Parts: sequence; C-alpha cells; structure tokens
Amino acid sequence: AQIGPPGIELQSTNGVIKVKVSPPEGNQVRKMWVDHLSFKYNLVIWENSSNAEFRSETIFPTDIIDDLAPDTTYCLKVQATLPLYSLEGLFSPIRCVKTTHKVNDLLCAKNVSVLSLNMKFHLHWNNQYKQHVSYNVQYLIGYLKKLHDDYSVKWLNVPGCENITDTQCNFSSIITTILGFYYLRVQAVSEYNRSCLSNEVKVDPLITNEIGPPGVKVDISDVLLHIQITPPGGSESEVMRDHYDLSYRVLYWKNSSNNEEEIKMKELKQTIGTVSDLTPSTLYCLKVQAFSEVYNKSSHYSKEECITTPGEQMLSLIILATFVTALVAVLLVAMPFVFVLYQAYNKIKYAFFPSCQPPLNIEGFGGQRFSSPCLSTTEEPIENCSIIETIITEEVDQIDFKDYKHSKQSSRDSGNYSNDDDTSGTKVSEETLEKEVV
Amino acid sequence: MNAFGLIQIGLILLCTTTISSLQCNHLPLQQRKVIENSLQLLDKMGKKFPQQCLREKMSFRFPEQVLKPRQKETVKVAIEEIFQHIFYIFSKNLTLAAWDGTALEQFQNGLYQQIEQLEACVIKKQTHYFWSKEVNRLKLNKYFKKIDCFLKDKQHNLCSWEISRAEMRRCLQLIDKVIRKL
Repeated sequence: AQIGPPGIELQSTNGVIKVKVSPPEGNQVRKMWVDHLSFKYNLVIWENSSNAEFRSETIFPTDIIDDLAPDTTYCLKVQATLPLYSLEGLFSPIRCVKTTHKVNDLLCAKNVSVLSLNMKFHLHWNNQYKQHVSYNVQYLIGYLKKLHDDYSVKWLNVPGCENITDTQCNFSSIITTILGFYYLRVQAVSEYNRSCLSNEVKVDPLITNEIGPPGVKVDISDVLLHIQITPPGGSESEVMRDHYDLSYRVLYWKNSSNNEEEIKMKELKQTIGTVSDLTPSTLYCLKVQAFSEVYNKSSHYSKEECITTPGEQMLSLIILATFVTALVAVLLVAMPFVFVLYQAYNKIKYAFFPSCQPPLNIEGFGGQRFSSPCLSTTEEPIENCSIIETIITEEVDQIDFKDYKHSKQSSRDSGNYSNDDDTSGTKVSEETLEKEVV
Repeated sequence: MNAFGLIQIGLILLCTTTISSLQCNHLPLQQRKVIENSLQLLDKMGKKFPQQCLREKMSFRFPEQVLKPRQKETVKVAIEEIFQHIFYIFSKNLTLAAWDGTALEQFQNGLYQQIEQLEACVIKKQTHYFWSKEVNRLKLNKYFKKIDCFLKDKQHNLCSWEISRAEMRRCLQLIDKVIRKL
C-alpha cells in the first residue's frame, strides 16, 4: 500500500513561509487511509542555489517556517508518513517561493520564555518598544494543531493577562490538564491599535515544570535522627506527588571543624525517615532534595538543618533528672493523700478508741479498770431519795391555822415527802395544790 | 544477504534501541495517568446512558487478542494505534451529542500528547515493522472502521454518539488492565 502525495498551499509573508497541507486522497469519496489525522507531514526545504543543504522537519497541517533568510528563494516538498507502520508516502511536487523582506518590528515581544516552579507557570518576554505598549497573552490547546481545521481562530486570551503593561504573565489557570500540550504567544498592541504577534512557545506542563525544594524538620531522640519532610508545592504538592512519583534524597554529615567529613546519603520514598548509626555528642547537619526518577528531574536542596546528638554523660544526667522529677511529682501527689488518711485515722481512733485517762484518785475503784466509754449509753441508776418532815407537821395542828399555813409554806420548798398522816396529808395536799396554782 | 550485512543491520537496530529508550522512563507512569484521566473525562463529558438508545445498541467486538501479542513491545504500538483511532473518532462532528466541551477538549488533548510521546519513545523501525505485519492490526482497523461507519449511518446523532462513547470506555478499560500488568 502506498501513500499518495499531499497537497500544499504556500504563502510568503514578512520573511516567513506559511504552509497549508491537505491530506493525500484529499476529497476522494472512497479512501484507503480513512484516518487522515494519523498522518505526520515531513517537509524538506533548501535554498535554490548550488550546494544547498537540505533541511528536514516535521510540520503540522497548518504551519509556519521561520528562521529563513529574507529575500531568498527556497524550494520545498512535503510527504505524508504513517509512523505507526513505518510508511513514508510519495513527495508532493517541488514548489519554490521567495521570502519577503523581514520587517524588524520593535513592537513585537521578544525572547518569550516560560519559567515554572511547583506547577505555577509564568511567561516572560522583553519589550523593545520606546512608546506605550500593552500586551495580550494568548493560548492554544495543543491538539488543535493536529486537526486540519483552521486553528487561528481558536486562540484564547489568558485571563488576567489581557491589556497588561507588565512583561510577564501567570498562566497557571489555563493549564487544566497536566497531561497535554499548550501553546502560548504574546500580542503587543501599540497606542495606534497596531498589533504584532510574538513567536509561539510550546508548554508540556510536567516537562517544563521545575520541582521546588522541600521543607525539612529534624528531631533527635537518643541516637536516632527523625526527619520530617514537607513536600514541595504547597497546594499543588498532591498533583506533583501523583504525576512525578516523587522521592527524596537526604544528605547528612558531621559538621566538625575538620571539613573532610564524609557526606552520607539516604533515599526516602515517604515524607518521614530516620537516620541511625550516629555518634553521640556530635553536631549533624542535613539537607533534602526532592526528585522524580522517571522524569529525571530534581529540585534544589532545602535549607540546612543542624542538630546535636546527645552525649553519654548527658544521657545519664537526663535519666537522673527524669527520675528526680518523677520522684518529686509522686511525692507531691502522695503527700496530701497520706496526710488526709492520717487525719481520718486519728478521728476514727478518737471516736471509737479514746485515749482519755481517768484521774489518779479514782484509779483502781472496785478493782476495775476504766474501760467503759466516756459517752455513756445507758443511764446510771439514780437512787430515790426522800426527805421525811415529821416534827414540823405536829406543831402546826396546835397553832393557828394561819401560822400553820405560813410555816408549811416556808418549809415546803423541795423534794418529795411521805404521807404518813392521812388527814394532815390531805390538808397538806390541798395547800400544795394552792401553792402550785399560785 | 551475507553475514556482514546482517551484522550491520543488527548493530544499527541495537543503537536505535538504546537511543530511543533513554528519555522515556516516564512513559509508563504517564500512560497510566492519561488512561485514568481519559476514563474520568469520558464520564464527565455526558450524562448517564439514555434509555432510549438501548434499542440501537450494537456489538462491535473489540479484538482483545491485539493486546496480548507475543512481543511486549508490540503492545505499546497497539496502544498507540488505538489512541489514534479514538482521537480520530472524537474529532468528528459532535454538535448533536451536546457534551461538555471542556471535558472533550481535555480528553482529546491528553490522547494527543500520549500519541506524540509514544511516537517519540517507542522503538521506531523494528517494532513498527513487526506491527505492520501483525494480523490483529487489521482486525483492529476493521473494528474502528465499523464504529466510524455506524456514526456516519446514524448521521452522528445523539444515540450513535452515546453508544460509541460507551464502547470507547470499554476499550480504554481493557487497555488500563493491560498496562497495569506491564
């Protein structure tokens, strides 16, 4: 199977040649090669003079050939190839064209370049124009160049970089697919609405991007150095980790006055790691670099972080200090507790087992030891005492009733008295009642 | 052909092999990511498969044996060709499908980048030569031609696009499985 010649249209403007290629079999109804998008076009160009060198390059269906000498006749031919089958088609007929005079327009932006760090993309260019100029940065999604359609209308403005005077632009917002090409160009516009388009720059995000240095923190415990790495990129760190499959390289060394210490290296896949086999009482320094093995990219090294390993004496001091602190802490907690317990014990002992001693003169009473409690629970038997007033009542019968009353009243002030004499008793009881009523 | 000639060819092929494989370490990882992305974008592009299109469903029968050739290198070329076919299909008239334009653009852009990378990285002459002789390649061409004709016959209407999208999804899932084993 043979691939036929493609068709070409040429246009010579401003020192460059614009080429438009139409696929082989063009507008045939029945095509052998249905998928015309698979074709890759190979252009061969040379100066129409003797001993001219052939130049061969792959071009898109619509493309521009620059870096040509002005006012020179060039001849070219194009062939369609199918790289997939290693097939090369027939060349088109040779066409010759003369390049025009190149106008060096100072208005156009020059040296358009891309700087990218941690998936933040910036476009930079130079301005040579003396008067006022404003810029529009435009982008094109890569695959559109592969199609045969006219992509010149498909350039879009980068948001935030329209009508600017600054010679740089942050175009991170338009990179929506990490996997895919983008083209960028700068349109310079003068005061009189004259415009000029710069050269295009191709961006392959993962290839163009540079990985920034990671952050690092160190911690020491005994003879182990703990490393904690902050991945580069901040908000974009996950994207980078995902697509680059990042690993980290740690360089560590003894920072002594003798600078001939060996630098050791450790590779980490995770963001945490430890370094062992360290000598005590030594100052160690380290720095970390992020790298992608598959993309063959590595970042700059992080800042150096230094830490001293604890010495052996230091170690025993630390142990002693820890022990003492623990002891003090325990005592501080235990002491009040013990005090409270002691107080409680005292109270209980006082209540249930009193240590009150009896007075010496009563000691040995009845041969009994005073073991009975101070707090008596039962009443002591009280003797019933009675006062007998017999003489006073006999004398009263003979005297006047008034006198009898008076003496009775005076002598009757306390205690119980027995009722030996019934009659006198009743009289007495009456008087008692009287007195009690009063 | 004499022995000396064969040795020469052998040396050239060896050199091309060494040179071509140097800058392409990132390709397997990138390819897995592109396929993951592409599957997500295919889902994002449109809504759920419309019920009314079930009647028109066609069985295209993807030739799975093309992904299980004798040589591992040929699988890479097979994948490259499949990507090219899918890229071609999705470059057609999609107005009636009314899908999300941004998702579609991202899908095409990812595929295109992979095609370019594969072309640059895969060992050129030798493997492509073997691939051109591969029987299954013709079956693959026939499969995609069938889809292309189906779309043309239905004048690229909504149902034909939805059926094709589902078919491409199945295709990419198969490739995903194969790539993970490589």
